[in-house]
Amino acid sequence: MSVAARLHALLWGVFSLGGFIAAFLLPVLIYVNNIAYPLGLWPVTSRDPTSLLVTDQIIGSFFVFVAIAGSLFHGVFRFTATLGELGLKNQVERIVSVGYALIAVGILALLYYLLALNPSFVNMVLHILGVR
Amino acid sequence: MSQKKEYPELPRKKLGPGWWLGNRHYTVYMVRELTSFFVAVFCILYIYQVAVLAATPGSYSQYLDLLRSPVMIGFSIVTLGFTLFHAFTWFYLIGRVQPLKFGGWTTTPVQSLIINTALLAVISMVIIGLFFLGR
Amino acid sequence: MARYRPEKGPKQYWQEYKVPYRRDTVVLDALNQVKAEQDGTLAYRWSCRMGVCGSCGANINGVPRLTCETFLHDFKGQELVIEPLANFPVVKDLVVNFEDFMEKLVRVKPWIIRDRESPVEEGEYKQSAAELERYSQYSSCINCMLCYAACPVYGLNEEWLGPAATALAYRYIEDSRDQGKKVRFPIVHDMKGIWECTLVGECSVVCPKGVDPMLAIQKTKILGAMEAPKSILNPQTLKAILPRGGQ
Repeated sequence: MSVAARLHALLWGVFSLGGFIAAFLLPVLIYVNNIAYPLGLWPVTSRDPTSLLVTDQIIGSFFVFVAIAGSLFHGVFRFTATLGELGLKNQVERIVSVGYALIAVGILALLYYLLALNPSFVNMVLHILGVR
Repeated sequence: MSQKKEYPELPRKKLGPGWWLGNRHYTVYMVRELTSFFVAVFCILYIYQVAVLAATPGSYSQYLDLLRSPVMIGFSIVTLGFTLFHAFTWFYLIGRVQPLKFGGWTTTPVQSLIINTALLAVISMVIIGLFFLGR
Repeated sequence: MARYRPEKGPKQYWQEYKVPYRRDTVVLDALNQVKAEQDGTLAYRWSCRMGVCGSCGANINGVPRLTCETFLHDFKGQELVIEPLANFPVVKDLVVNFEDFMEKLVRVKPWIIRDRESPVEEGEYKQSAAELERYSQYSSCINCMLCYAACPVYGLNEEWLGPAATALAYRYIEDSRDQGKKVRFPIVHDMKGIWECTLVGECSVVCPKGVDPMLAIQKTKILGAMEAPKSILNPQTLKAILPRGGQ
């Protein structure tokens, strides 16, 4: 396999995993955060679902990271391929590069902000590593 | 003896950008693929929400007000619909490519769809129970 | 019917024919009746008349089908529109140039490849019924090219290896007698190979023999995705992707 094909095979594997994540984990997050909470539907919560999930909650943050990072990868990867089929074949390389940049920036930003919302976890890790 | 004359071929017809409108299967395929746009946009908006919560908590209530706007609720309902459509078509396709095997029983794609949809419901209930019920 | 007669003019044009109808008339019968009794200039391919030779493919009301297996009674009350197979250059009328398809079939090396050929005295390469079952579906291809005519990815990009060639490669990859994985993998796992496929699935819908090339392509992708992490640690790959060649 050429280098490009090997890398593509690996990325396709991640894309495929992202498909499972988007299928199993994303619907409940969309429903609870964007529909149930604004409309006051079940499950009614005292605070908004996202701050309940991620503020000093490492397990909730991990769930959000997996659900969003996996779905973002899957969605962007698939959408850039679809644009090629909609007649933008000549611009595909540029579109794919922008797509991968968006994925990288998005995942890194998510990781950064989730860690910022979990200072106890970060302090614990730094303590274990002997930094603090 | 006369020479054999070569006649020009008609070249392949180019597929225009609207090729997917010509056939019901192609249209369903393209709708399935375009669900990815809504998935990607939701993820980007969600990352923004987490960023606002982390970086500018003072503005977070404004973002929550935006979530309550009709436009956002409409977008969310459409996105949920498309995400579920993605899930169901994904389960069916996976059921074709890698059917589940239980002893001597191999699932059909429809059975795989039903089993995975039930699993989706269970996982969703577990997540709601773990993170949101009574909180 | 779409006509193209390059000796008469450079453009394709439409010609209407009326044919006698019986309950069991197929499109190929109609074409034969037209050629025999109405218009001897009509050009089209056919051979076995029973769906095993793969010669008589055409686009019928926009869908690639075998003319010998398409009954007129399924189109009762509708106009029947017959065109050459989509996504191929047209030589004349319903006759297409399939050189690209043939080149792709040969490219995947559709024969048993062994590390060492056993001499005849050692006997045949044995295979169990279960081992045969793993690939027998994919060996049913009759090379009719309906899948290529149905595939919009091939329609958009002629370089794509295509459903039938990939299914054929998978047939040999899954054959227990074959040891040619390392020869075939670079061919199918090329960027113009399986990675072009976006799972439209129309190839499997139109296939008259139940080969299910879409399934073969996805299974090949899974094999590739499993192989990639191992091969990514290959020194050649690391050298190509690490800064300064990994030094």
